[in-house]
Amino acid sequence: MAGTEYPIELDALAVSYPVHGGQVDVLRGISLKVGRGQIVGFLGPNGAGKTTTIHVLLGFVEPAAGSARLFGEDVRRTIARQRIGYLPEHPQTYGFLTGRELLRTAGRLFGMRGPSLENRVKELLGTVDLESAADRRISTYSRGMMQRIGVAQALINDPDLVILDEPTGGLDPLGRMQIRAIIGDLRTRGKTVFFSSHELSEVERVCDSVVMLVGGRIAAAGPVSELVQPSESLESYFLRVVERGLAS
Amino acid sequence: MIRILTIAGVVWREMLRRRDFYVLLILLGALLFSLMSINVFGLGSTMRYMVDTGLLLAWIFSAVLAVTLSARQLPAEEQRGTIFALLAKPVTRWQLLAGKALGAWSAVSAATAAFYALLLAVLALKGWSVDLTVTLQALVLHVTALAMAVSLALAVSTRTTFGAAASLTWLALAAGFVFVPQIPALLVYSDRVSGAAMLVLYYALPHFELFDLRQCVVHDWPALPANILFPVLCYGLLVTAIFMLLAWLGYRGRHFKRGDVL
Repeated sequence: MAGTEYPIELDALAVSYPVHGGQVDVLRGISLKVGRGQIVGFLGPNGAGKTTTIHVLLGFVEPAAGSARLFGEDVRRTIARQRIGYLPEHPQTYGFLTGRELLRTAGRLFGMRGPSLENRVKELLGTVDLESAADRRISTYSRGMMQRIGVAQALINDPDLVILDEPTGGLDPLGRMQIRAIIGDLRTRGKTVFFSSHELSEVERVCDSVVMLVGGRIAAAGPVSELVQPSESLESYFLRVVERGLAS
Repeated sequence: MIRILTIAGVVWREMLRRRDFYVLLILLGALLFSLMSINVFGLGSTMRYMVDTGLLLAWIFSAVLAVTLSARQLPAEEQRGTIFALLAKPVTRWQLLAGKALGAWSAVSAATAAFYALLLAVLALKGWSVDLTVTLQALVLHVTALAMAVSLALAVSTRTTFGAAASLTWLALAAGFVFVPQIPALLVYSDRVSGAAMLVLYYALPHFELFDLRQCVVHDWPALPANILFPVLCYGLLVTAIFMLLAWLGYRGRHFKRGDVL
């Protein structure tokens, strides 16, 4: 059983939000399976439903229809979140904690403690290059440092699936390179990464496959090499798919 | 349990690093020393007056800490967006609420114990003392009332902003201390309908006044017997449990939005 389940499995997932007495359909029956060890880019224009999909996966939003599973577990069950790490869009955190305290707190929420937690905290502070700022309050961190400590807290439990919502948004080239390096490291360790992004060049560089969401439906999905012709870029393909999706 | 304790630990750090507690402790000390040294109408040399004023300030300051700390917890998580990273971990909403409540209550209780200790220290400087058993009972009932206030503020804040939750909790506290104890006297002058409405209010609103033993400490009255103390403590725990249940009902289906200012 443990070897056959998919890290992410969506089946005819639909989500509606009540707006001014009516309903807005945000997701219209999307089905998706993400296999182990894949690096998947989750793309779509603003309002396509990317963050809503991620929120369903994390149990924040109740689907109107369909189902969502993580490693075979219904996302509504707390245990489904034991093997995942999540970096929210524009990560904000407790400014009154230091970076080290934040990672310890995150680890304890996964039931970690003792020397194994301390070693993991130290290792991650090194990975995200924040050792020298580990005992400074997070309120004094720059935007890039905040993003990096956010990535570190998402990786504290050595997750098998990492969900990143706009991980490179607002970062300078150096910050982007560091995030790329972290994703590369996750790939070599066989982890699954699912990340939404508007940075198509980043997606093209690091992803094995992409899923494009337009108007709450999957408009294209598959390996980048199969979807995009050698003569065109991912960006031009994306624009074509979005135009086609919006027209239909 | 480790998850609840971890969340409670974050609330403790927040209280200690926001410095509200230190400010109130220093303010209490400054007010007590000022009263002693200025000695208006000789009141500074009257022990009962000093104890009464000190305990009143401890009640006010602990209520300020309890309401602001607990009413802020959930709306601030949502406003900062930290709720997403928190609930993406294997933490249930009930564990989140329990951790917030435990953290806020234990931190405010420790602060209240520090206020009492400061008052006793100031009295000792004058060579005065109070009955320690009665004072300990007063502290125990005081922190039980704080548990009610913390759980009420958390329950209200599951569906409102920090400002609204704090205001409504202050209103309930004021009603519990001032209005509710007067209801039996008002019943004498009421017709049947308004009398029935007041009776409903009397039993529905929390009775914070039951937990106020200041006069026992001030006038050196004997300690409360167990057959009075125990039911009052049970009442406090029951009211706290009801507010926590309401908090969970309000929070379990809550839909979060990014950067939502509640």
